[in-house]
Formats: sequence, C-alpha cells, structure tokens
Amino acid sequence: MSALINVMRAELFKSAKKKRTYIMATLLWVILPIIALIVGKIAYVTLNTNFAGNNGVDAQTVVQAFASPFGIARLSLVLPSIISPSFYIIVLALLAALFIGEERNQNMWKTTLVAQPNRFSVLLGKFLVAMILFGILMLGSYLLSFVYGGIGTLFLPTDFSGDWLYLAKLYLLQWLFGVAGMSFAFLMIWWFKNISLGIISIFFLPALLEGIYTVYATVVGFKPVNQLNIFFQGLKLRTTLENLPKYFFSKNFYAPARDPLSNVITELGGNLSNNSDLGPLANIIGANITLTHSAKVMAVYALVFGLIMLWSFRRRDVS
Amino acid sequence: MKVISAINLTKRYGKTNAVDKLSFEISEGEIVGFLGPNGAGKTTTLRMLAGLIRPTKGHGEILGQKVPSNSLLSVGTMIEEPAFYKYMTGRDNLRHAAMLHGGVSDRYIDEMLEFVSMEKAAKKRVGAYSQGMRQRLGLARSLLWKPKVLLLDEPTNGLDPVGIAEIRENLRTIAKQGVTILISSHILAELEKFVERIIAVEKGKLIFDGPMSQLISQMDEAQVVYILEATNPEKLSLVLDELGFKYEDLKGQARAYIPQAQANTLLSKLIHAGVELTQASKETEDLEGAYLRLLKEDGRPS
Repeated sequence: MSALINVMRAELFKSAKKKRTYIMATLLWVILPIIALIVGKIAYVTLNTNFAGNNGVDAQTVVQAFASPFGIARLSLVLPSIISPSFYIIVLALLAALFIGEERNQNMWKTTLVAQPNRFSVLLGKFLVAMILFGILMLGSYLLSFVYGGIGTLFLPTDFSGDWLYLAKLYLLQWLFGVAGMSFAFLMIWWFKNISLGIISIFFLPALLEGIYTVYATVVGFKPVNQLNIFFQGLKLRTTLENLPKYFFSKNFYAPARDPLSNVITELGGNLSNNSDLGPLANIIGANITLTHSAKVMAVYALVFGLIMLWSFRRRDVS
Repeated sequence: MKVISAINLTKRYGKTNAVDKLSFEISEGEIVGFLGPNGAGKTTTLRMLAGLIRPTKGHGEILGQKVPSNSLLSVGTMIEEPAFYKYMTGRDNLRHAAMLHGGVSDRYIDEMLEFVSMEKAAKKRVGAYSQGMRQRLGLARSLLWKPKVLLLDEPTNGLDPVGIAEIRENLRTIAKQGVTILISSHILAELEKFVERIIAVEKGKLIFDGPMSQLISQMDEAQVVYILEATNPEKLSLVLDELGFKYEDLKGQARAYIPQAQANTLLSKLIHAGVELTQASKETEDLEGAYLRLLKEDGRPS
C-alpha cells in the first residue's frame, strides 16, 4: 500500500511540473465557458432582433439552455464529447502519454522501476493519478459553471435553475467511463512504444474498426450467404454481428456526456423522432442504448484493457 | 552474507545468448569490478539483477531474495547514461525519485547534492546540464535511499578527465561506507585501488572470477608494449617471429607485446639482428586494454 501511495505522490508531483496539465485545464475551465457566454450573448441579441416570435423559438429559452450556469455545466459535459476527436479522448491520450509514454520517450522506465520495483503499484499509481487528474478536470468544469454562469446572469436573462443532481450523476458516470478509456489509452501508448503512434491509435483505432464494420455491413451485409460472410453464418453469429454496434467503444463511451442532448433538443422544441430536427446530432444520440447498458459494456472494456495492460506491464523488459 | 547472486543467469535475444548461464556471488561489503568488452553482456546482467529485464533462464538474487522482490528497494543503480525529466530541475528529479521510493527526507536530498557538488546546479533544469553534471546527478540519485547494493554500469562513460576524477572520488567515499558495489567500467585501471575482485565476461559467459591482484599478476608478464618502426619492416617481422614475441602489423609499424623480463634487452637484440630501427616507443596500457589483449591470446586468465 505504501508503494502505491509513494507512486501516486511522485506522479502528482511530476504532473504539477508539466505545462500540459494546465493547458488542458485552461481549455476546459476557461476557454469553453467564456465562448459559451459570448455565443450566448450574441445569440440572445440576434434572436431578439431578427427572429423574435418566429418558429416558436424563445430567445430566453435558448440562452438559458446554453449560457445559464446549468447550461454551461451541461455544455461543458456535452460539447467535449461531440467534437472529433473528442476532448475526452484527447485528454485521456495526453494523460496516458504523460504517465506512460514519456517514461519511454525520456528513457525513464529504468529510473522509475529501480526507485520503485513494485510494478503493480507503479502501474496502478500512475493510472489512479491519471484518473484523479481527469476527475479534477471534470469536477472543476462542473463547479466553475456556477462562477461563469453566475457572471452571465449579470448580463443575460438566465438563472441557476436546472437539474444539477442529475447532471452531477452524468459527470460522475462519464468520469467512471473514463476508466475504460484510460485503460485503452495506457495500453495503446505502452504497446506502440511511441507517443505519436500511440496517440493516433487512441484517436482513430476504435473509429477505424467501427468504420470497417460499417462498410462491411453496408456493402456486404450479414444476411445473404455469400463467400464473404458464410463463415459468420456457419457460426450462427449473424444476429450477434448485427447487434455489434451496440457494443462499440465510442457508441458507449460518450453515453453519459451525450445523454443531455435529447433534453436540450426537447427544450428547444425539437422532436427526437424527427431526424430533420436532430440534424447532424442524429448519429450521435445513442438510440436504443441505455446508460445501464453502456455502463456494463464499459466495465467489460475496462476489465479487458486493464488486465492486458497489467499482464504486459509486468512482463515486458525495460531499457 | 551473499548480497548479490547470479544463478545460471541467461538472457537470450532470438538465437543470441546475451548472457549465458552466468553464475557468481558477491558478499556484503565487496567492491567488484565487472569487466568485459562491449557486447559481452555486462549491461544485460546488471539489468537482470536490477529487475528491469526478465532472465530467459536462471535468476538473480539480491540480499538473498529472488529478483524481482522488495529487496530491490535496497539497490541503487546507474545503468548506462542516467535519464532525467528534462523539464524538471535536478533537485526536482531527485525529489521525484525519492517520492517513488519513499522514506527519503528533503534534507538527505540536499546532502546528496552536496556530496556530488551539485547543490547550485540542482536549481537549473536538467535539459541544460552537461553530461558530467548528469552523471553526477545520476550518482546522487542512486544513493538517495542509502542503498546496501550499488549496481553501476560505466559510471564514468563519456566524461572528461576532471569528471572522471570527481566520480572516482565519490565512489571511493561510498566504498568506505560498506556498500556492496558491482561496477563495470572501461577505466577499470583508475578504480584499481578500491576494486578488490574482478568478474569478467565475454560473449555472455564467465571467464574470470577472482581477486584483482591475480588478474594483474597475470597481465604483468606481458604488460610492456613497444611501437616499433624500421626501414626494413620485413626484417623486423622476421626477427620478432624468431624471438617468439607476439606483435601486430600496423601499416609499417609493429605493435609488439614483450614480457617484462625481456623488455630491457629487446632493442639491443633487434639491432644485433640487423633491424634498422627508426622509431621505438614504449606504450603504457590501461588495465582493460591489457585484459582485452589477454582475451585474444591463447592462455586466457583463469
């Protein structure tokens, strides 16, 4: 236990000395909410001037949805999940690069593992500190929404109303889902022995695999018995394969962060069953995937990635 | 008490045996030189003993415990060039290592910085350090947790004479404190005064394990090297062959290895035999140079 605490102290000390840590925090804690406030103000003025009374869109509702304290907190959770590559994945990749990749890049593994030869503690300590930093980033984002949103109430028709507890649960859940994401990021950086290659794989490997599936499903399909899918037919895997997207990493990983999207659409008078109302968000909102389902899937991913990482970390030679 | 043990230690990379069934034991307080040419398996052995790489066969033991184990917490190492986080200061690098290990006070970090004369430079980022400063900082880091065992791999590698002298002085002080040290170095001759025993390897195999004095006495017999040049080099070669001396032909020059007892009469013998010498200079070998030459000869040290 003391070995684990020693590793955690050392890694927290190290990350405090790294500029990258503060850059990530600045992006999420400062830039995003300020943009939300500015956009909120512009939207409020524009909607009041040009669109007042049109299409049933109420300027105050729009601003409340995006630039109120609750709106900013919600936006800080949702927005990082819908950009590509998502801010969450970027953060996880950078943290994995800091705690795993840099050791190799700067030839530090031999130093680390001589100072603390308990490899299980070293890996777990690094992982926990990375998760703590990810958590601090998210918690800070949640709490700072009160500050930024509070400032916004001075010049926007917004207030503090909103289901804060529900949002807090989603933040917590998204952080917990980060365990699977972080395990994946650690594994990729460790396996590729190269930070750049590792980060690229973290960004694009899940999408690549899922893209291959989509192409296959679209072009070939799973139903006809042909040369390409007779193997799956023979193994009676057709139904499983058709249901595979429900278990895709990125379909489930962002489930908590994207959960409020449907609320936002409803608040703005949109119809969830109407794809034209959803626009580009149609593919992002995880239809037919519940948070419970996603939690189970992510737990399995975390377990699998974590065990492979631990097995590999304890065995591999370091130079 | 056996502090360091290698038991049939073997490391294979593909079909190559980097270390091949290497066995030795080092007792408490011994200072042992680890000798061998480049690629002999010294670093690989030290890495296996430090728990950084897994042996293919056999195992290492530190303080009686099979590696890897908690006994490694009593080991300080400097294997190859020491690495640091370049964005941190020297002191912060030591603090980070101290935190990882645990049980090291800030005051002791300062003591170690003072020991290697780095107290002022420690405030600068490591990225700005010279190699000599990094070596000294590496030595300070390896001593942070008052190790009972030190595994040092070429600690003076790449240093200028001043840096070498400083590290040598530091190691002398450490040796006096009863720390068990296994040290590989290409300037073993300079460490001669405090290395009591030599373990020598070649191609991953043990070829010598014994007192330093035994190795030196064997090398003394063939320690004088003459660089000879003559207007008639063929004659020079012929006479050296007749006299039974070993030599290397170096583009018109001959590098001859002469037993100490016959060194003084060499030149007169050559002149009497009709060799027209234009140059004859004596060359002093360092310990490892003589040792490496011994490896090439038929009678290896045993």
